[in-house]
Amino acid sequence: MEGAQEDGETEEKAEFDASDIEYVSYGGEHHLPLIMRLVDHELSEPYSIFTYRYFVYLWPQLCFLAFHKGKCVGTVVCKMGDHRYTFRGYIAMLVVIKPYRGRGIATELVTRAIKVMMESDCDEVTLEAEVTNNGALALYGRLGFIRAKRLFRYYLNGVDAFRLKLLFPRSEMHPSLHLLAEQDGHDQITMEGDA
Amino acid sequence: MADEQDTEIRLPATASAIPSGDGTVWADVSPLLNAACNELRDGELIHGENFSLFAAMSALEIMDPKMDSGMENGTYHSVDEAIESGAAPVPLSCDKTTDVLRIIDVMDHLLACEATWHKGHSLAQTVFSCIYLLRLDRTSPHALLHSYCRIIRATCNAVISVVSEGRTHEEEDLFIMAFGLPLGGEKDEGCLSSVNAVEETLCRRLHACKAPTAKKRVVEDLEPLQTNPDLEEGLCRALLCRLRFRKHFYHLLLCMRRPQGRGLELARKHISLCLLELEHLRKSSDFLRSVGCSAYNNALMAETTASGCQPLGFDDKLNIRTSAPAPPRAIKTLSWEMALDYFKKLLDDLDIICSFSLELLLENVLHFVVEFQKRQPDLVARAYLQALLIQDGKLYGREPIFHVICKASALPESLKNHDIQKSEALMQLVQTDESVWSVIYQHLFLFSILRNGLSHDLTKVNGSLMQLLINLLRILCTNVAWQRRKLGKVLQDWRVIYVKLEHTFRKEFRELSGLSEENACTKLVRHILMWVEEQTYWIALRFLSLGFELDLYSPEEYCMVYWYLYVILVKLAEKTHLKILAGTDSAKRKGKKKRESLVDTTKDYRIPPAVMLLKCYICLAEGLAMMLAALRNELMILQPVSPFNSEFERFMQHFEHLQKACLPDHISYQSFKECTTQAVLSTLVVYNHFKDALRIAKELKSSFGNDPNKLAELRCIEQIAERNSIALNVINRIGAVDPALKISFEFSYHPYFAVAVVKRS
Repeated sequence: MEGAQEDGETEEKAEFDASDIEYVSYGGEHHLPLIMRLVDHELSEPYSIFTYRYFVYLWPQLCFLAFHKGKCVGTVVCKMGDHRYTFRGYIAMLVVIKPYRGRGIATELVTRAIKVMMESDCDEVTLEAEVTNNGALALYGRLGFIRAKRLFRYYLNGVDAFRLKLLFPRSEMHPSLHLLAEQDGHDQITMEGDA
Repeated sequence: MADEQDTEIRLPATASAIPSGDGTVWADVSPLLNAACNELRDGELIHGENFSLFAAMSALEIMDPKMDSGMENGTYHSVDEAIESGAAPVPLSCDKTTDVLRIIDVMDHLLACEATWHKGHSLAQTVFSCIYLLRLDRTSPHALLHSYCRIIRATCNAVISVVSEGRTHEEEDLFIMAFGLPLGGEKDEGCLSSVNAVEETLCRRLHACKAPTAKKRVVEDLEPLQTNPDLEEGLCRALLCRLRFRKHFYHLLLCMRRPQGRGLELARKHISLCLLELEHLRKSSDFLRSVGCSAYNNALMAETTASGCQPLGFDDKLNIRTSAPAPPRAIKTLSWEMALDYFKKLLDDLDIICSFSLELLLENVLHFVVEFQKRQPDLVARAYLQALLIQDGKLYGREPIFHVICKASALPESLKNHDIQKSEALMQLVQTDESVWSVIYQHLFLFSILRNGLSHDLTKVNGSLMQLLINLLRILCTNVAWQRRKLGKVLQDWRVIYVKLEHTFRKEFRELSGLSEENACTKLVRHILMWVEEQTYWIALRFLSLGFELDLYSPEEYCMVYWYLYVILVKLAEKTHLKILAGTDSAKRKGKKKRESLVDTTKDYRIPPAVMLLKCYICLAEGLAMMLAALRNELMILQPVSPFNSEFERFMQHFEHLQKACLPDHISYQSFKECTTQAVLSTLVVYNHFKDALRIAKELKSSFGNDPNKLAELRCIEQIAERNSIALNVINRIGAVDPALKISFEFSYHPYFAVAVVKRS
């Protein structure tokens, strides 16, 4: 699925103060049409209503919306669950409408989701982003995601994707990490700059 | 998705033909379903607990053009309707000249479609958007069109077969999807004879129109191609080059599939003929443009034909339903020019494969494949390379993989000639109709019994080792994105095999240690062990370096990546050197016995060029790692900062596969930190790794005098070393005092080794 489309260049920028943006957690069916409109309009992949509901019904706590004066300008939709031997968070959709990009709204949305994943004991967070989506790649790079893999012609439009991954510092979840931490005297891994 | 119903509805049991079993009771669910139907609104569904993301994603919204491939959005509902409406007339025009011009447009558009297919779109929406191909029988009265369509179909079949047999197309699986398309029919080369017949008639017509007027009637009783004598020659030529291109292209595909690479030489001839015809095709554009559009009235323009006119008989919406059980993909057919460029590139790639000398030394085979991949070949060329390398479980279909491994392990000559030959004779004895694998297996088994050394266990390990090598060769032919992922995964298998082999070897060796001398078999295994280790590090190196090509590393991660690259290169150099030494040692010992002379050994023990080249890389990797570390330590740039984790997690993620496979042992994030935290620019300038790289590269030139690829590589190394050395000096002098200095890393000379670029902003 798609990552963020947060590139700097925009035709028309909205005038607003960062403090005017209101972030809310998914609050029920009335939010669903807002999310769907944003995603359908901004992302290349088509999703059925079942896909949206799959996410927001099962993980409403991982879905956030950004409002400016009552208008929905951005959203993030995620999930989490077991993946092989890890408990993994997954960012499925992240959208901020063009006039509002480049002002940290996407970063705030995704940071909120990642924090919930971390508190829910996820080991890692993953997502896919188009290799050409420089805005999204820079955003996730700043958050500590690495480009783990490249997926050849992943999207319907024929563009490759990067699978991005963020590993949380939690040695007891990874036996290999734990072992390594012990033998290297690398005990509790500290987090840098997490507010 | 309906809200879960908490209220349990109990329903009356009804009589049923099928009796209820233990713990099950038949119940009438109609009232429940009726109630649910009344409650359900748009977009809701009743589902079980196992309703997954995949199920949700598989749902399509009917009549949503982004999702519903089956939506009626074309002009016609069916192929028959399109034909009845006159979308694909046969002949294409009652006017003979227009008919020929339109056939040429069909041919050109088909070529563009074919290239678009090869580039990753579905066959159904590209080549088979041609209504003539969808109803091939209709074209039979029209020899020209019919023969062209037939050879296109045969070519598609040949290409699908080579790609699907390779079974490494994975993410490119759309390519071979041909469900519902009329691809069946001729499997033989029947289409060639019909093309030949048409070609011959065209030749005679060309000949006739060029002959002096007086002779014309005498020479030929042949009807001209069309009615306009001024256009006869040009049109004959335009058709001829198109037909001949198809013919040679099909021939070359057949030649390339001949067993054991026997058709490669002939294939090259067809490739050069194809390239020649491709040039004629390109040149025919001027002529066709001049006559094309004036010949039809109100012709629509198109980029996909030489004439620039829209072709008749195509509809890419007709097949959209058969394309794939997935949402429709946007298809932009390549332009005619781009299609010609694509085929030129494909032919050049195939020519490189055909001119390969079918090396038996694995090292050279791997080198060839890696060099070939640098050209970024598309799926079809890669599939043909794979089909050549691995046939019937043997290298080129003739060299048993076990022999390839023995050769790669630099086995002493004595062993090769004596034992393996002997066992080969035995192998022929046991060769029945069984699979090649069982024969190789028996071969090894017999071999081990024969040499009274090894147990059944070891032959098992060897068997899977051969499978690993075959897999490796296959993987190396895939697209680099998938290749890297697969290489990461197989690293562990190679490591496990090594450990198993070593374990068994030690056990066997202990049992045999009573014997006076190491026997041939233990010697063989010792050599193979060395090779397995070397090969594993080679895979690790390829895995790491492909990360650069795929743009997987960010500049903040370069430091750790170069450091790990350095560690792997050191190990690879060590293992390669050991293997080469072991190979020459045994040979020398034997030679010495014969001559009983004491030659000065110092000269023979100089480091082999292959190892020295690795040393060059080692210097570059270490130099870059240390330079980047110093920049971080002193200038505080390129530091990985993230709110959620630390550099340790990035290290573990990037090198997970290597760490899991213990490549190498005792290497961890801590070792990386220990090596890099003390790095400072002033020390690096004095002990300059780049200068070492430069020196070795200069010395090596004489060793690779006859290898232009290696010489080019050495020149790149020199450039990188020189530039980084200068950059290091500049940064050391003014980096700390000049805050306007911008330092970036670029890959302008080499795909993996960066050059530091220093600019004042």
